[in-house]
Order: sequence, then C-alpha cells, then structure tokens
Amino acid sequence: MKIKKILIANRGEIAIRIMKTARLMKIRCVAIKTAVETNAMYLSHADEIFDNSDDLSEIPVFLDIEKLISIALKTGSDALHPGYGFLAENAYFAQKCLDNKIIFIGPSPDAIYKMGNKTIARKLALKSGIPMAMGSEGNIANEEEAVEIAKKIGYPVIIKAASGGGGRGMRIVRKEEEMEKMFLLASKEAEKAFNDPSVFVEKYIENPKHIEFQILGDTKGNVIHLGERECSIQRKHQKLLEEAPSVALDDKLRSRMGKMAVQIAKAVSYYSAGTVEFLLDSDRNFYFMEMNTRIQVEHPVTEIITGIDLIEQQIRIANGEALKFTQEEIKIKGWAIECRINAEDVQAGFAPDPGRIENLSMPSDSYIRVDTGIQAGSAIVPSYDSMIAKLIVSGKDRKEAIKNCKMALDKVWIKGTKTTLPFFRMLVRNQKFQDGTFTTAFIEKDLDKYYFNSEYEEMLAAWLATKLFVEENLMEDSINVDFKNGKEMSPWLMNKRMNQF
Amino acid sequence: MNDKLRINKLFALSSENRKFSFAVPLKNKIRIGKRDYIVQLKSDEKYGLYILWKNRKYPVEIVRSRQNKYEILFNDISYTFTVETPFSMQRMKVLSSKKGKTEQESVKAPMPGKIIDVLVREGSTVLRGEAVVILEAMKMQNEILSPVNGKVIKVMAKANANVMKDDVLVEIKVE
Repeated sequence: MKIKKILIANRGEIAIRIMKTARLMKIRCVAIKTAVETNAMYLSHADEIFDNSDDLSEIPVFLDIEKLISIALKTGSDALHPGYGFLAENAYFAQKCLDNKIIFIGPSPDAIYKMGNKTIARKLALKSGIPMAMGSEGNIANEEEAVEIAKKIGYPVIIKAASGGGGRGMRIVRKEEEMEKMFLLASKEAEKAFNDPSVFVEKYIENPKHIEFQILGDTKGNVIHLGERECSIQRKHQKLLEEAPSVALDDKLRSRMGKMAVQIAKAVSYYSAGTVEFLLDSDRNFYFMEMNTRIQVEHPVTEIITGIDLIEQQIRIANGEALKFTQEEIKIKGWAIECRINAEDVQAGFAPDPGRIENLSMPSDSYIRVDTGIQAGSAIVPSYDSMIAKLIVSGKDRKEAIKNCKMALDKVWIKGTKTTLPFFRMLVRNQKFQDGTFTTAFIEKDLDKYYFNSEYEEMLAAWLATKLFVEENLMEDSINVDFKNGKEMSPWLMNKRMNQF
Repeated sequence: MNDKLRINKLFALSSENRKFSFAVPLKNKIRIGKRDYIVQLKSDEKYGLYILWKNRKYPVEIVRSRQNKYEILFNDISYTFTVETPFSMQRMKVLSSKKGKTEQESVKAPMPGKIIDVLVREGSTVLRGEAVVILEAMKMQNEILSPVNGKVIKVMAKANANVMKDDVLVEIKVE
C-alpha cells in the first residue's frame, strides 16, 4: 500500500466512517480540530489531530483549499479523503492535491469538473446515448430565453443550477407568469451556493421515482455498478430515507439502467466511487439526471446488500489497484433502509432545530447499523448540517426490513433537540410506503400528517401539563413532589428545570 | 390561591381544542376503559426526564411554561396545553361567546434565519399561498407564504435582518 496516512478533510459521521475502514487497512488518519467543535466525537477516532481551533475565520477549514493542502503537507499525509459535501466535488481542489503530490481519494479533477457542470454532463450523456429529459442545450441567459424553451418543451419545467447539487438552485415552473420570479430565485440561490449564477431549463418529470446507481471504477478502465438505491422519500430535494434495492426495478430494468450508468461513467474515464442519478416515470421510462462524483450519505445501504466496503474500494482505487470483482460477481442480497435522523422540527415544516444533545442512546442488534458523529453532550451547530445519526436497518426482504426499522425507531432515544424520528415512525406505518408505490411527490402530496403518535401519547402529555400546574399552583410546597411510585425526582433537578422556563 | 380548596377537577386544553380532564388531587393513575394504568414521571442520568407508561419509557421535556400554558415535548412531538380550573373554563366560555372571529393574521418566521427579500408593502393585497417574504435558513431560501387572502397592514420584516423563530414578519387584515 502506497498510502500510509490520510488527512480527513471532513467532520462528523463521515469522518468516523472513513477512519474506521482506514484503521482496518492499517492506514493512519489525521483529523482536524475546529473552533466550533473542539470536543467533536470524530476527533477521538483519529490517530493524529491537527489543531486548527485557533482559526476563527468564518469559512470552515473544510472549505479552505490552501489551508487543507498546507495541513496535509505539514502532517505528512500522502492522501486526502474529502468525504461528502464541502470540497468533495471541487475539481480545482482535487487538482491542487495532485499538484502537491497528495493522493486525492476520489475521481480525477477532469471527471469532477465535467460531471459537476450540469450542462457539460447533459451534453456528454446525450452523446453517450443516455435517455434524458428534454431541455435547453446549454445555460440560459435570462427569463425570456427560459420562456421560449419552456414553450417548446411544454410546462412544467424545472430550472436548475449549472453548478448545482443537493437540491439547491432548483425551481419548478408551472406557468409562464411564474418564470420571471422563479428564474431570479434559482439564479440568486445558485450564485450564493455555488458562486455561479448560471442555470438551465429541463422538462419537469411529474411524480417520478428517484433511482440512483452506485458505480465503482478503477484507473485501469474497469467500471461496474453495485445496483440501485431508491431515494424517492425526499422533501424539497433533500433525501430523508433511502433504501436498496428498489421495488420499482426488476432484473431486466436494473441491468439496462446499470449499463447506462456504467456507460456515462466511462465517458469521463471515471474512477473511484460515484453515483448516477436517474428519474423513473410511471411508465418505467428513465432519464439521466446527474452524476455525483463522491461517496454519498446513503452509501451504507449499498454496502449492506452487496457486502462491499465502498470506502475500502475508494482507498484501493486511489492506491492504483484494479477492481477485484467483475459485474457478474456482484450479488445483491437482502434489503436495507437508511433513516436520516436530523435535528429538525417535523411539526414546523422540517425547520432546523440546532442545540445540544442531552441524551442519546441508539439500539444495537445484528440487523442495525448506526453511523453517527454525535454523542450525548455534542452540539448540533448551525454552521454545519443538522444530521444526528443515520439509522441503517436490514432484513432478508423489504417487509422484514420495514418491520425491523419500526422496532429500531422505537428504541432510539434522543433528547435536547427535536428530531425527524416522529416522521420515520409515521412513514414505516404508511400503506403507500409499505406498498412501495410512492414517488418524490409523496411527502408534499400524499401525507396529511408528518408524524406518528400512538393513541395515548397526547393524553399522557396532558397529564404532565396538569401535574406541573398542580405543583406550581395548588401545592403548599411545590418543590417537595411526592413521587410514591418510582424514583423521586430530586428537588435540585426540579429546581433546575423550573429555572429554565 | 383562593380557589385551591374548592378545585376537584382540572382540564388540559390542547391547542387543537381537545379537552383532557383529570381529578384533583392528581393521581399517578389514568383510567382507560375499566382498568387503571400507572403513569410515572422519572429522571435519571442516562435518559434524562421521562414518563414510564405500560412498561415503556417515553422521553419528555418541558419546553416552556408560562402561567397556565405548557409546551411539552413528548416522544419528540410537541404539545401545547392550557390548564384550566372549572372556574376559568366557565370564564373562557363567557368571553369567547362575546368575541367575534379574528380578523387579523400574523405571518411568523417558521425558523430562525435571515430575511433575503420582502415582497410586499403596507397596503399590498395578497392572496392565500402568495409569497410575502424570502427567508434564508441553513443555506436554503424559503418562501414564506400568506395563510389568508387580505391586505397587508404592517410589515415588520426588513431585508438583511436576522429573525428568530416565531418573530412576526407581516400582519395581514383578512378580507
């Protein structure tokens, strides 16, 4: 192994995920300590910590190219893993690593650039014969041009950021009158998020399923796919739950879509792990959407059904090794579901709810995997994403995976912020989810309630409110609570809680 | 409290107007059908504050308490109750029968964030579902929509200002 030491240019659960595999491969890892998270859990998984906590600049170090390169050189790291988000899909950064003789654990700068620019990616896909939704040939200059194209391909259309991803800089337009406003919104958001206001227009596929293929390529020109993931459970283009495989695909369609995914990857001589995203309409037509040139948040579901460690593959490929398996040797077994447990308020339209996690306890069992970078005492800080943990549950088939998921969700214990748990508890009980007939419109169109509570929960909450009222107003000494049954709550604790009000 | 001795019952009214009544003195038992079930409020290091009910622990947090109003987080879902005595219940009934329907609607920030753009002015007519403010939170731009048809009577939101959750952005007179 050429690679001896990896600088982890990321934080949270993905930093830990990478370090776990690196440790098994006997590679040392360097993590970066930042001022906003000096006690973060990921630091305890590193062999070496680079202390950057005196850097108080507003831009996180994970976005600071010069700084990361200098840290890699200072710590003698011969490789760098960008994780996801931050600079994972920044071609200039990947090139900078190579220029400084640091192995970038990911694809080539050229592949990142071509796939990162959606208009170039569209052209490449067209040339490779990949089915695509109709749309503008390149970027569009203004709303008049957008109106013209929309007239040609018909409403609804979607405006997308050329340098976009993660659902930002996207707007659906259903009629001409909305175009001006939506064009400006998309362009503004794109400029802010990606430093590039350019957008393009595409036919909007109504109520599709989001199906993506995991691919792996090596530097010898071999590319294979590891089957699909279904990520249709999303809100405002943010994925909430992913599963693998998908109920919507049979072997024939899987092999057809998989072939297309491999084809487009080959068009940019892709190596490392990557994801090709498709939309699948109700007539089972599929359309290329984009390719993500990084490891994805939802990679664990693929690891479970294929038994392949994707981080290990990324490291081996970066090390120059050839893939050790062929397409025929990839076997899909069982079913896996991932719930993204985020610090969000489901009752307030999934608004982020940052704060300190007071208690956290995750279930453990043979069918449960938890990827998290948060422990009791950790803070969910507004500067980063709101993820608390990924709960990944498997079963021999989808039915069993859902059943296991339901049990696991009831055993998750998180206090301190509101979480998306009530949403998932509702989802696993939803008929349409169980049938598998849901689309990306599911959350906005098919749900009238975003959370689950059992029959007596509201009544018990009412009892607690009444108890508090009694203690505050009707008792001689409100501190001396008489808990006849069970352990008495200490007056000190009661006092502390009262003071918090 | 002077009412103290005479109270034999309390009502918890949910924000959706569901009524739960409990006998006072309050017992650690709740009757369902013909059986009493024990409900216990406990607290320990590992789990924090919780309620034990039918052999299952439920996480609870007291989010806010002001006078007789309580916001409770029970198993990750928040509930708001006002606790009323039989006397205050009676008073409320009298009051509500005198008051008409609300004619004014406040558009509030659903989350903390930064105002990017204010799309209405005082005097603007708005339709239900029309965007009135663009609020940026967690790097996403969100359109804040008017819940009613009406006329804007006051604009509190200012572009580039930071707002807290539940800050009033715009007030609309229902038409």
